[in-house]
Amino acid sequence: MSAAHHHEPPPSQAELRARALEALLAERGLVSTDAIDAVVSYYEQDVGPQNGARAVARAWVDEAYRERLLERPGDALAELGFGGMEGHNMTVVVNTPAVHNVIVCTLCSCYPWPVLGLPPSWYKSEAYRARVVAEPRAVLREFGLQLDDEVDVRIWDSSAEMRYLVLPMRPPDSDGLAEDELASRVTRDCMIGTAVP
Amino acid sequence: MGGMHGFGRVVRPGSELPYHERWEPRVFGLHLLVGFEGLGAGPGGRQVREEMDPASYLSSSYYERWTFSAEQRLLRKGVIAPGEVEGMMARLAAGEDAPEHEDPPMSARMIERLQRRAPMDPPPADARFAPGDRVRVRRMRPQGHTRCPRYARGVSGTVERVHGADRLPDLTTYGKPAQPEPVYSVAFASQDLWGPTDEPPFTVLLDLWDSYLEAP
Repeated sequence: MSAAHHHEPPPSQAELRARALEALLAERGLVSTDAIDAVVSYYEQDVGPQNGARAVARAWVDEAYRERLLERPGDALAELGFGGMEGHNMTVVVNTPAVHNVIVCTLCSCYPWPVLGLPPSWYKSEAYRARVVAEPRAVLREFGLQLDDEVDVRIWDSSAEMRYLVLPMRPPDSDGLAEDELASRVTRDCMIGTAVP
Repeated sequence: MGGMHGFGRVVRPGSELPYHERWEPRVFGLHLLVGFEGLGAGPGGRQVREEMDPASYLSSSYYERWTFSAEQRLLRKGVIAPGEVEGMMARLAAGEDAPEHEDPPMSARMIERLQRRAPMDPPPADARFAPGDRVRVRRMRPQGHTRCPRYARGVSGTVERVHGADRLPDLTTYGKPAQPEPVYSVAFASQDLWGPTDEPPFTVLLDLWDSYLEAP
């Protein structure tokens, strides 16, 4: 029997169009392949939820930092080296036993890139944008998060230039953990509000 | 899109990732380059994507919309001409290697711009509304771009905070002059937005420019 050929499926029209757009501009020297690589890599490696997690963990162990993070979030995040596009204006919203916060952008997909990287597909989906402002607990249940009826749910729709980061509650079983270990407990979804640490 | 029905589950396989296809990150990078390198003209990406007719918008994937807005901006600037993308698609489909171009200074410029900070102005002393004030979102049906979500129009809420001052995007998108005006965080009770719901009452907070608001 002859060796099986591995046939890659032909690119979709969407892929072909995207590749053609880049190729056209590269051919004319207007965009560089390495600049596109650099932007993509920046948000895959340099910037991501590990940034937000560091700020959260710092706020958990350092009361003075927590105050700065809540009062002047831009400056407090800049202390850790975080800032820039889609994070020019930050507000940190605090989860407590009485209040649970959730972030959305119903108009498009605005998201605090400098502290969380690029948003997951579900955050950008029509389903999330349409439903979380109207039936938040049903949406949270899809993520496995169940809240007591007494908890106030607050949904922040990023309809202007402000970007939001949820400061989750420190888990009760985390006493004595080092800051790094605490940070590893803070997932991206905890800082959007669809999970808790 | 807030409040619309018919979209099913939020959590689906693969939805925890930012991208689904290998070409999508390249469109993301390309779109940002078009913006920062001045290769596009007219309204920005978000606004152009809003111009898609609803059927096309909803049947396109997220990054297909970004391909659309990048292409539109390039066409409007005259950097590409109608038909040229299709011409390159035919060349690639025929097996030609995609042309590449290296420009390390461009890469460095892009990263610097992504890190640059540009906060909005602080809240003005003469803001019309203050925290605690009741406000109502104006009824409106704007032809073009707005950042006033439909689901809040006509609804009354309470000012939570004055975030700062920013120019009205309904005007700046189209190159019209605008002075910075207050942007407020306004809290709406769920029952005022949706009527009684199956869930315990909750709060939705929107960020709204002063021009979107009136005294109730």
